[in-house]
Amino acid sequence: MQIIQSLLNGILLGGLYAMVALGMSLVFGIMKLTNIAHGDLIIVATYICMVMAVQFSGNLLLAVLITICFMMLIGFLLQTFLINKVLDKGPEPPLLVTFGISITLSNILLLVFGADARYIPNTLKTINIVNTEHFSISAIYLLNFIVAIVVICTLHYIMKNTFFGRSIRATADDVTTAELMGVNTKRIYSYTMCLAMVISSIAGLLVGMNYTYYPSTGTEYLIYAFGVVVIGGMGNQMGILLGGIILGIAQLMGAYFFGTGYQLLAGYLVLLIILTIRPQGILSKATRR
Amino acid sequence: MATVLDVQDIGISFGNNHVLKSLSLELKESEVLGVIGPNGAGKTVMLNILTGIMRPTKGQILFQGENITNLSTTERCRKGIGRTFQVPRPFEKMTVFENILVGSVYGDRKSEKEARVKALEIMELIGLTEKKGWFAGKLGLLDRKRLEIGRALASNPKVLLFDEVAGGLTESEVSDILGMVRMVKEQGISVIWIEHVLKTMREGTDRVLCIAEGRNVICGIPEEVMRSKEVHDVYLGADEE
Amino acid sequence: MIQLLASKPFKILNIKIIVLILIISIFLTLPLWSSEYIISVFVLIFLYMSLGQMWNLLAGYTGLVSLGQQIFIGLGGYSLAVITVLYQLPIALGIIVGGVISILFALIISQPIFKMRGDYFTIGTWIVAECLAVFFSVWTYVRGGLGFNIIAAYKLSTTDIYYMAVAMGLGSIALVYFLLRTKIGLALMAMRDNESAAETLGVELYKTKLKVFLIAAFVTGLTGGLLYLSIAYIQPRASFSITWTVAMVFIVIIGGIGTIEGPILGAFFFILIKQYLYNYPGISMIILGTVAILTILIAPKGIVGTLQERYGFEILSIRRR
Repeated sequence: MQIIQSLLNGILLGGLYAMVALGMSLVFGIMKLTNIAHGDLIIVATYICMVMAVQFSGNLLLAVLITICFMMLIGFLLQTFLINKVLDKGPEPPLLVTFGISITLSNILLLVFGADARYIPNTLKTINIVNTEHFSISAIYLLNFIVAIVVICTLHYIMKNTFFGRSIRATADDVTTAELMGVNTKRIYSYTMCLAMVISSIAGLLVGMNYTYYPSTGTEYLIYAFGVVVIGGMGNQMGILLGGIILGIAQLMGAYFFGTGYQLLAGYLVLLIILTIRPQGILSKATRR
Repeated sequence: MATVLDVQDIGISFGNNHVLKSLSLELKESEVLGVIGPNGAGKTVMLNILTGIMRPTKGQILFQGENITNLSTTERCRKGIGRTFQVPRPFEKMTVFENILVGSVYGDRKSEKEARVKALEIMELIGLTEKKGWFAGKLGLLDRKRLEIGRALASNPKVLLFDEVAGGLTESEVSDILGMVRMVKEQGISVIWIEHVLKTMREGTDRVLCIAEGRNVICGIPEEVMRSKEVHDVYLGADEE
Repeated sequence: MIQLLASKPFKILNIKIIVLILIISIFLTLPLWSSEYIISVFVLIFLYMSLGQMWNLLAGYTGLVSLGQQIFIGLGGYSLAVITVLYQLPIALGIIVGGVISILFALIISQPIFKMRGDYFTIGTWIVAECLAVFFSVWTYVRGGLGFNIIAAYKLSTTDIYYMAVAMGLGSIALVYFLLRTKIGLALMAMRDNESAAETLGVELYKTKLKVFLIAAFVTGLTGGLLYLSIAYIQPRASFSITWTVAMVFIVIIGGIGTIEGPILGAFFFILIKQYLYNYPGISMIILGTVAILTILIAPKGIVGTLQERYGFEILSIRRR
């Protein structure tokens, strides 16, 4: 039953897409910013992970920890010195600044690593955890899904139960009041970006373990992330997993019915249709500027 | 005189929140109807419904006998309903002349050549001829209000809706605005004038409608309405509780 | 200062016209006294100028920040390729068909895409472009990922292409200039300042935006065809690449968004940097990216906008007197 296999893979792949989108959703939910550089930041993390994995002879856990540190620093600097400066200057400047960051980052990657396809070597990709005559579950897909659930739950816990999370949410609800209460909103934005970078680093590692990537792959993941966020609702962490799963299924069903060439196209088309019918996302309660 | 605008029992509710319960009014040809009421009475909501920014959940609006309840803002403008905003919204990076041109070209569907002639006339009427080439963003509050009235006039309306057009002005400036309202009336245009300051209403209007909590309270000649027990209760009753 | 200029006598106008004629005649005679290389650089400058003008018309005057204008470059290029290679028809027809197909495609996607507002529109247009890139890669009629060698283009000399590019570049400037002086221009200025006020004065927001979107699609499609005349090889990934729109954005941001002069200056700047760093394509993009970010941070109105603000001049005024 090939279709069951496709459906199952689609659902599990949804975990990867949810991870890719989670950081973007967080940033949008808190500072109403559509970060066009999001995909490229993930790919930057993937490249750093790759380099670190080589340095530490294949220890991916150590590699991702160091990547997280790097990415937090990058995110903090970009947010503090570039994005924060234009956030209150109308809709276009923040969009265009992140677009500029996107182009700059992908070309720095091109300069440093060249245009060749890369891949983070791992053994998980070849192992099947479950193997029946009808379907199998690959270890790497299962890992995607489990990591996504763990990260989403952790993020949910942080936002609900810690002082840090509460002040982030207060800022998202009402900037002026939060400032009156003594919250430094710009600082909060920088921390939010750091948090998004932690998630994106993990997403970057998963991307590199699942697929080959190039310096220009960021665009693809930006669109996935954006699509998932739109389906799941901007700033809604729980909806993100559902959004990821819908995108994953759409892609693999497209591949199943029309051939692998149409996998990407099917995903994009489903996104466009959802964007048209329900521009605020399926689950959100119209949280737009 | 003929009725220009007939608002029949309109109401709007968001879920269980009935912002406007039931409101009716009739506007005659070249009549100035004042609308007063305390904060939250539903004045601005009424205005938004009349201009088509909000759709009422019940009732209907007849304009010269035609049902316009479901027309868009643009279509209403072209039928002949113009408005000003509580906080004036001139096109700040356009000149005074260009501001008025927009009304004439789009609201009145004139060719630009005809519109230019019309715009010059209107600038004369509102007394902004000398500031023709000024950017609207550089104007003071009174001039902004004048410009908004002029811009609305340029769209050749039958009905003008004034949203607190005298708000925030000094006494002498208010008398200036009163003069403008008279001028508008003389052109055969009917006016619905929403205002917070009751004193201005006494002088400038033919009839006054008082609304509170989303309903009509009383309607009649300004002096009588102002002196009525109902208006007294509406404005002062709340304070005594 | 600006108000004063708005009423200045005709003398300045005369000087302007003389300078304008001088500049235009320099460009018209360029192939007679300059090298092949210089001519080819100016081909790029004029074509990118046209792209910049259109993106500026969308983003700077209409508030439609599209990151999907490469759609029309690709459609223009592919129309040229299909008409000249598959059907052996004349180049001119290929270019025009490119414009027409662009406008039709824009009309079709406008229905869904205009339902998206703000950031959603921006990324929505980008997704459409990516869809086309993927679709053209698997569409056998256009030879999938293989693409076309546009052989017909080899028959043209650089000078031929140059004159077409000049017509396109100057034409796009004239188009924007005259468009802004028509009713549509008046509506656009009003909408840019305050949409709700414009609406209450009878300006139809949707229709006006749609008209501009279609015009930009048409001109970008034509320009796409001309660009592929000079590139002479088309392939889906490159023709529907975001790189095209990156160029448009940089040209407009650096030159000055919402001014007609901005994209002119921006195009010179962009192509000169690109040519200067021709052998280091990565570096030129990094430099341009950084310059664009810094421009938004330090001088958000770009070179022209900042100069206008400081010295209060307008070369191509769209003011009504």
